[in-house]
Amino acid sequence: MRDLRAVGTKFYHVLYPKEKKALLKEWDLWGPLILCTFIAMMVQGTQEVDKQDGGPEFAQVFVIVWLGAAVVTMNTKLLGGTISFFQSVCVLGYCLLPSCLSLILCRLILIAHQNRILFLLRFIVTCIGFAWATFAAMVFLGDSQPSSRKSLAVYPIFLFYFIISWLIISHSNV
Amino acid sequence: MANNVPLLDNEEPLDFGEEDLPKGRLKHPVVTTFHLLFRTAALVVYEFCGIFSSSFIGPFIFIVVLLSLDFWTVKNITGRLMVGLRWWNYIDDEGQSHWVFEAKKGGLQGRVTKMEVRIFWVALVAFPVLWSIILLIAVVFSRFQWAIIVVIALTLTGSNLYGYVRCKLGKSDSISQSFKNMAAGLVQRQMVSNVTSMFTRAPPTATPSSTV
Repeated sequence: MRDLRAVGTKFYHVLYPKEKKALLKEWDLWGPLILCTFIAMMVQGTQEVDKQDGGPEFAQVFVIVWLGAAVVTMNTKLLGGTISFFQSVCVLGYCLLPSCLSLILCRLILIAHQNRILFLLRFIVTCIGFAWATFAAMVFLGDSQPSSRKSLAVYPIFLFYFIISWLIISHSNV
Repeated sequence: MANNVPLLDNEEPLDFGEEDLPKGRLKHPVVTTFHLLFRTAALVVYEFCGIFSSSFIGPFIFIVVLLSLDFWTVKNITGRLMVGLRWWNYIDDEGQSHWVFEAKKGGLQGRVTKMEVRIFWVALVAFPVLWSIILLIAVVFSRFQWAIIVVIALTLTGSNLYGYVRCKLGKSDSISQSFKNMAAGLVQRQMVSNVTSMFTRAPPTATPSSTV
């Protein structure tokens, strides 16, 4: 359907951030919801016998992603950005895709028996995902900021994806 | 999302003789069912999932999926077909965001049945109220994980409620202005009915007053 195709197009544009119109002009929040749910499911904690299963980490991811996106958006708007609230949340949510891909790769790497080299590999993969996500977000959100304020606007976005990547790298089954 | 579906325009004209539906029959039974189905299912699953499993994640995802389906259905389909209202947001070429609230003007007679309108509004208003009560209960009993689900439910059902209320009240008015207009309208109607009752009471004839 129309909505599904729109979500797919946006995923593509996040991976190759050349054209800005697709994400900005027609925002939707389905992609962020899917990505957030996926990350939360993958990052959940190990099951313990007498407690609820992996609950805390799951809910944490939801809260961090949505509250974090809202706070970063408020910061961008307060700095004088010309973007609307939902557009910014949409962009931040969709740019979780590289982090999500690095999470999948880490999960695959975790299948093997862990040692130092594999940890280094996971670390590098997570760093690449983090850098890609931040870069993509800056491409989409950069124009809405006056140039003197750009670095002020980058820092919260950097922090946002840093925390998500931290959750990803610290998830392991050892 | 740019919404270029015409509002109720493409429906086929009613066949001769179909204009008066018997009272209480629904014109869009499937649509009405779906309007109620997802909301009720989300609420029921939330309340009773504790009986079947002690996990949190499965029901969480299931309820969030049901709520998203409900939001999409009510926003895009049931409001348009059941009461002739719709609302959306679009970004114009300068990057300004516009919220549009539309109501179908005139010609609603054959397209909308009273029963459907009543069901629509009752379901639209009742569920946010129910979810807020559940939120209070969850907070009081410190079930904070479950409170997250309730907050999500409130956001989704509440935003549909807000959108359709703004459609109903007229898009250019703010909410307080619309309430003032409604109050003024009520006062006017009261005065008119007082005046007409004064006139109709005086002559002691047996003519029945015609109602429009």
